[in-house]
Amino acid sequence: MKIQATLIAILAFIVMPARAQSPLDTLTEADIADGKRLFRLHCARCHGIDGAGGEGSNLVRAKLKYAPDDESLIEVMGEGIPGTGMPAFWTLDEKQATRVAGYVRTLGRLEAEEMPGDPLRGAGIYRTTGGCPACHIIAGHGKGIGPELTFVGDRRGLDYLRRSLIDPADAQSQTMGYQDYLTVRLTTDEGSVDGLRINEDAFSIQVRDVGGVVHSFRKDDLIELKKVFAHSLMPEYGQVLNERDMDDVISYLMSLRSDQ
Amino acid sequence: MKKPITVLLLLICQSGYAQVSYERLVNAANDGDNWLTYSGTYRSERYSPLDQINTGNVKNMKVIWAYQMQPSTQAGNGLVETTPIVVDGIMYLTEPPSTVTALDARTGKTIWSWSPDMSDEVLHIGFPRVNRGVAILDDAVYVGTLDAHLVSLDAATGAVRWDVKVAENSSGFALTLAPLAIEGKIIVGVSGAEAGVRGFVDAYDSATGERLWRFHTIPAPGDPGSETWQGDAWQTGGGSTWLTGSYDPELDLLYWTVGNPAPDWNGDVRPGDNLYSCSLLALDPDTGELSWHFQFTPHDTHDWDANQIPILLDAEFNDKERKIVALANRNAFFYLLDRETGEFLHGNEYSKQTWASGLDEAGRPIVLPGTDPTYDGNLIWPSLQGATNWFSPSYHPETEQFFVATRLMGSVYYKADVEYEEGQPFLGGGEQALSGDDAAGAIRALDVLTGKQQWEFMLHSPPWAGVMATAGGLVFGGSNEGNVFALDASTGKALWDFQTGGAVRTNPMGFAVDGKQRVASTGGSTLYVFGLE
Repeated sequence: MKIQATLIAILAFIVMPARAQSPLDTLTEADIADGKRLFRLHCARCHGIDGAGGEGSNLVRAKLKYAPDDESLIEVMGEGIPGTGMPAFWTLDEKQATRVAGYVRTLGRLEAEEMPGDPLRGAGIYRTTGGCPACHIIAGHGKGIGPELTFVGDRRGLDYLRRSLIDPADAQSQTMGYQDYLTVRLTTDEGSVDGLRINEDAFSIQVRDVGGVVHSFRKDDLIELKKVFAHSLMPEYGQVLNERDMDDVISYLMSLRSDQ
Repeated sequence: MKKPITVLLLLICQSGYAQVSYERLVNAANDGDNWLTYSGTYRSERYSPLDQINTGNVKNMKVIWAYQMQPSTQAGNGLVETTPIVVDGIMYLTEPPSTVTALDARTGKTIWSWSPDMSDEVLHIGFPRVNRGVAILDDAVYVGTLDAHLVSLDAATGAVRWDVKVAENSSGFALTLAPLAIEGKIIVGVSGAEAGVRGFVDAYDSATGERLWRFHTIPAPGDPGSETWQGDAWQTGGGSTWLTGSYDPELDLLYWTVGNPAPDWNGDVRPGDNLYSCSLLALDPDTGELSWHFQFTPHDTHDWDANQIPILLDAEFNDKERKIVALANRNAFFYLLDRETGEFLHGNEYSKQTWASGLDEAGRPIVLPGTDPTYDGNLIWPSLQGATNWFSPSYHPETEQFFVATRLMGSVYYKADVEYEEGQPFLGGGEQALSGDDAAGAIRALDVLTGKQQWEFMLHSPPWAGVMATAGGLVFGGSNEGNVFALDASTGKALWDFQTGGAVRTNPMGFAVDGKQRVASTGGSTLYVFGLE
């Protein structure tokens, strides 16, 4: 039954409609190089010279909040984003904006790599021996303690996925320089709460514990606020999976792509 | 229900609607119920002499009213960086990009609103669509627009009195600062160094809009200071003047700051000290002639504009009564200068920096080797946004404390080859900031005469909001995370905070209406006015 369910899930990806044509499809390597030049001229001041963010958001990601598709990425450059620092770059003509969009998409896109194992078998191990749905959601199934993995293959390649399974603490991702899923221990005079940082400001901090419960504290009320950098709540799977199982799980995760 | 309107009418009849004479501006420090200029007074202390809200009762402060700014349909979006001014119960503020709105300071209800007829294709290279506020003089309100006009509006109705073009927006010039009104004159500066403009300070006749003088911040060949440039680099040398200056009516000197040389990060194409970039100028307001200058960062290659607020104070320094100007610079050093002569009195590091071993006896930085941007990147503190930036510091004249919101962030600086093209970015590199968990912010209190830190209040991220001290023993500030807060000025301990729901990118200001003290700040695009009742 489990294998059947997985098959259906994979088939669902395969029979998804073919990707619509994008205005970026006709760009040449020279166009992308020009897009990089224009990016450094117009965009790098806020988004960082390599697009990894600064005052502007990090663009080195497969999905951009305000630009879910290529057309909207070009549109955002032309019209700006209300209520943010993102201005309308009307000085870029459509051809130039398309080239910049082409370059921006290269920042977050991973080319398909050869899988080290069997994704179908890996899907089974993910659900059984791995116990991964206890902390991760794929296509709506699982529990959302760690990152959602629905299209993880878009943004994570072979090396990163292997590292995140063997040494999760060494594979922490960041958003605007803040470590995602940062482990914190908050101690009040009533006891301690361990969890993952969700949000923080100078006066308060919000965490989600491993049971999924959200806790909010005023920093004034804390006896201690301990942030554990370079640490992950995720188990080190080198001890749990054999080499073949590991390759198969990695292959399954690599197969989870929005263009499949 | 009718009472407020009646009172309003009475105010109009009694005071003559928004009549703000020059004498009233000179005496603004004694008029705590009103906030008459961008920084509160000509000395730019950003200090409220009101003490109704104090360390004992600030915990009871609440929102009295809020005003949601309207996204302009004319010229796209922008960020809110305005400091309102308040005159006799009327608040005048700007909304991005260049709208002026008058509100009833009692209720937040709109009196009038004016927006320029501005092209959607207005250039703003190197900064968002922002405006930091208006000036008021007699019965007119003055605003600089993103398309580089200076406009005089009737204070009672918002009707245009006059409208002059300060510079060509198509070359990259823009006005984002609040103008400064002095006797019969409106003083403005320009933005645009990231487009390679040649900056200047202008004075206009407040009644007619006629330009009275212009001081170019980048000297032409043959002029004093031109020896600090080579070839034609001066023509695209930057040196914009995008923040409101200060004024000493007794010495009759204007104090105006100058931004980075252009291009920003590639100094190879502009050898020399590049005067008067990254400097403080003392100008004769009648002629625009330079009285003295002090350059904080000679031959800057990190985009460390000196566009911070110069605060004027009088104090005994080394057993001598001095007229001083104090400035916490983007380059992470705090400076005291004699404001009559420009003599360097004192300087010290007030925030993390890794580019200089200190200042020499004349106040010139002793630059460490290998700290310029490179093609491969070079990690330096502070980041290009600086140890502080345009947002205002505050000075408490009684306790001689200088409060500054500081950014603790480094950056990898890159150099790139660049050629000037009119109306295009002229940068010559970029940065990759060490943001997030590697960065932080702090409100710091310095002893103004020694620059020594007395306390700090840590912020989650490097701030974009200024501070205001009050006679109630409080320092108000804001954070990117949406907090508006009040600190105890003597200890730095937080006594009150409020989550506004949007990043705070403005300076707090204070006033009173109906005898009740008010503090204003913003969060996102909403203006909040706080009080006890």
